[in-house]
Amino acid sequence: MLYIDLKKWRSELTGKKTQAKEKSRHETGGFIEKRKRSFLRILRMIKKEFKLLWTDKFNIFLALILPPFIILLMAWTATTHGEPSAVECVVVSYDSNTFINPNNYTESKMDNYSTPYIQAVNKSELLDPILPSPPPNKTGYIPFFNASEDIYAMEKARTYLLDEIITIIIVIPIDFSEMLALGLPAMISAIPDSSKILNIQSNLNAVQDSIKIFVADNNLTPQFILEGFEEFSIPEDLSLEFNFIVSLILPLLSFGLALVLTILVVVKEKPIARLLLTPVKRHEILISKYITYIIVLIVQSLLLIISSILNGLYIVGSVFDLFIALFMLGFVGIALGLLISSQSKTKTEANQYFFMSFIVIIILSGMFIPIGSMPFYLQIVAWLLPLSHAGPMLDGILSKGKSVIGFDFYWLLGIGLVLLALSFIIFKRKQYEA
Amino acid sequence: MRHDKIMTSANSDDVVVDVKYLNVIFGTKRVVRDVSFSVNRGEIIGIFGISGAGKTTTIRVLTCQIKKKYWIGNVKVTGISPAKKRNHAKILSNIGYVPQLETLNLYYDLKPMTNVETFASTYGLDTNDAKKIAENLFSILDIPEDTWNKKLKNMSGGEKKRVSMALGLIHQPEILFLDEPTTGVDAYKRYSILTYLKKLNRELGTTMFIISHDMECSLVCDRAAIMRNGKLLEFGNPKDLVASLPSNGIMAMFSIEDLNENKIEIVRKYPAVKTLIRTGNEAIEVLLDDFETNISKLVRHMIKKGIKINSMTRATATFRRFFQIRIQEEDEKERREKEEKGQVDKKEKAPEEIKKQDGEKRKNKAKKGKKRGETK
Repeated sequence: MLYIDLKKWRSELTGKKTQAKEKSRHETGGFIEKRKRSFLRILRMIKKEFKLLWTDKFNIFLALILPPFIILLMAWTATTHGEPSAVECVVVSYDSNTFINPNNYTESKMDNYSTPYIQAVNKSELLDPILPSPPPNKTGYIPFFNASEDIYAMEKARTYLLDEIITIIIVIPIDFSEMLALGLPAMISAIPDSSKILNIQSNLNAVQDSIKIFVADNNLTPQFILEGFEEFSIPEDLSLEFNFIVSLILPLLSFGLALVLTILVVVKEKPIARLLLTPVKRHEILISKYITYIIVLIVQSLLLIISSILNGLYIVGSVFDLFIALFMLGFVGIALGLLISSQSKTKTEANQYFFMSFIVIIILSGMFIPIGSMPFYLQIVAWLLPLSHAGPMLDGILSKGKSVIGFDFYWLLGIGLVLLALSFIIFKRKQYEA
Repeated sequence: MRHDKIMTSANSDDVVVDVKYLNVIFGTKRVVRDVSFSVNRGEIIGIFGISGAGKTTTIRVLTCQIKKKYWIGNVKVTGISPAKKRNHAKILSNIGYVPQLETLNLYYDLKPMTNVETFASTYGLDTNDAKKIAENLFSILDIPEDTWNKKLKNMSGGEKKRVSMALGLIHQPEILFLDEPTTGVDAYKRYSILTYLKKLNRELGTTMFIISHDMECSLVCDRAAIMRNGKLLEFGNPKDLVASLPSNGIMAMFSIEDLNENKIEIVRKYPAVKTLIRTGNEAIEVLLDDFETNISKLVRHMIKKGIKINSMTRATATFRRFFQIRIQEEDEKERREKEEKGQVDKKEKAPEEIKKQDGEKRKNKAKKGKKRGETK
């Protein structure tokens, strides 16, 4: 078999005048045929890219295992997921103090609704009735300070807040019972520990719960619901912490991992020099890399979304919009990664470019410092960068139910296409010596 | 140049590479100068030269790696000119290239067969056809079958080299270019690689270009080219080239006791001596006009001058020696030309002359300084 093949081959190779033309058969033909061959070459290159990707197990881990693992880790760390922990609080009541009606200057000392409210607070499972050292307690379990009897009531409550014994002070105002008796909206004030920004909403949710119980037990109209309180908030049965962190981590993972996966793709593939001595075109090599990593990105984005939803991600908008948003961020990451990889001469250089660009993009993304509080010129730079658009875009989809299509989407698309074009230009001009 | 005859004798039907007056210029530097040669189908051509001779640059023109703006001349590879960019794909599908370093040119993390698939696909070859061809090539190149589907990085250096050769031939090219195929390989493997190349050439009839500074490659070459400073000095059959030396390349190899420069000069100045090369601490090789007549006279002359000859051997020069002689000749020729033009390097001038010139310069400076002082 071997002998016959070689004989045939040799006969083909020797003594034929038109052999050059025959040999170049692969590169002749019409436009469609050439495109077809180009398409087939790209397909084989994609296959090669996947095989190369598969040989680097750490890359597989980075691309497909790490993202859902991080989401799972976030869910574990956000302990309030599904079962919000009870909030320690004290109630300070001014209701027994003398109230002077500003309309007719009549005085009243009604406090008949204070006790039912304290009972509602005790009933609420979201508010913690147990304290390490219970303060003077007049009604049930919740520490209760009556400001009409103790002029230092609020100061004492603040001391608890300072010592982190409690995380919120519930204040019953002076006109509480009077307003309810007149059938007017009453008010409950809440003073949460604002140093723990992530806990604010869960604290307020707990107070809200006590108000709901109070309204139900006393057949009152639900006029305690505070305006704007529930706007864009996370439902009580879902973890606020997890949702807050995930909205930051999703764009970071999508963009960052795409960047990390692609920064070395061109620079470390030494045999490109030899590939370029075959009929393969430079753009075919780069297109195959784009397609490969876009496929990886699609899988990665789906894994991120699925793992996030399974762990309690609250999405007001559409899941498809969220997918498109993550895909777009990842696409910009791939384009930037391939640009860095095409531009760099060595792996070290690529890593340096990566570090430099990633740090700047993260710092100016608005995740740590609000973009609005930056100096004006730095704000312009920040808005030019991709991650700065991730926050508004994802917040819109997750909390407000907005469509992905908007300024941020188009801006990311624009950045991605510019980076893609630059990567092709630079790769086309890159010097290779086999 | 000895290649003119060969050029004209080539049958135009069989010519696969035709280069006429090739010049490559990078900026102001002319890297290749008026290089002309043609290569027939099925030949193994060796291109030899020291570093910077222009051999790789010449091949890079033939393999479409240098843009047309950097070179002029009439070049045809498999009948197609690389001057036009649209021809590149056609030329590249007709040629194969085996680069010098496998580490930079093979996918080490993939199997040899996957490498085959990847490179074959660029030529539009069907995977199964490519695998069949690869199996044939691997068999010719004695690559063990059990390694075909293991990662390439686990193969030995020699095996990797042979896989690289097979990849160069996977699309059945008309011409295979091999860049330094024996560099970094031990003596035994070097011979085995050359043997495999000859075997492939014999079995497949592929025209081969071997670029090397390893003269042993000439053993398998049908014709060899020697380049120096971008010029093609020689192009012909290695044996013919050696035979073009005085006395058909027959030389005397002397072992001389306490060999020194004076003794070498005595031998060199003997009228019949055409070329002398020192090849060791006590060894010289001498080419003579009319060897049979003059060798005994030379020996008598040496003895008369008090040179103690330990041994003398009559041998035919190797291609390596021919290469050395030609390069040495050219170096001397260039030096003479420079001397004639008065461009001799300062270091090469007689020390007295330099001192004299320096003294005059100092005097002139002193005079100028005095004049300035007077004007102030």
